[in-house]
Amino acid sequence: MENETTSISPAEVRILKNGPILIKGVFNFRDSSGKITSGEQELYLCRCGGSASKPWCDGTHNKIGVPD
Amino acid sequence: MDKNDKKYTNGEITVFWKPAKCIHATTCYRELIEVFNPRKRPWVNMDGAPTEEIIRVVRLCPTQALSFQYNKDIETEKPREEHQAEVRVMEDGPVIIMGNFVIYDADGKEINHKKMTSLCRCGNSNDLPYCDGMHRKTGFTGK
Repeated sequence: MENETTSISPAEVRILKNGPILIKGVFNFRDSSGKITSGEQELYLCRCGGSASKPWCDGTHNKIGVPD
Repeated sequence: MDKNDKKYTNGEITVFWKPAKCIHATTCYRELIEVFNPRKRPWVNMDGAPTEEIIRVVRLCPTQALSFQYNKDIETEKPREEHQAEVRVMEDGPVIIMGNFVIYDADGKEINHKKMTSLCRCGNSNDLPYCDGMHRKTGFTGK
């Protein structure tokens, strides 16, 4: 079982320049309502505070800018 | 797993027993003495009742000293769940990432080797990309 657990690649979190947070790989995601999604996924989370569909990025940072 | 913890299986499910959590509420053996009999050794007899009945009674345990898992989940999902990263979006606050992850900054450089981190979602932190609590001052709202 040890071997199996170490074979799981870490989730990749990327702070995108003047853009959102990209998270991809195998991980558990819990939204603010407590809903959990698991398994392989690729998410873009708003980092500028301005998205109209938070937590997701909707491109608003292109208009208002994200400080880095 | 504590060294005193035990597990019992019937091939389909495994029942886990954590004696440190038990407050001897006696629910399990009043409900299903054929399986949970504290006078016998081992005290859990997985052949004493059908799987569904064992699950029903395990769920009644008030302290979760008793818990169970399907064996097919133990073999596949469970180890991943324990070791894979967890991402939590906090309402009106940051996104918290814990467990098995690597994080790269805007220049693609690997940063932060901690087991847990908290990333700004409001855009106002003075310590970007990390949260510094500024969302409270600016009154950030966001699901």
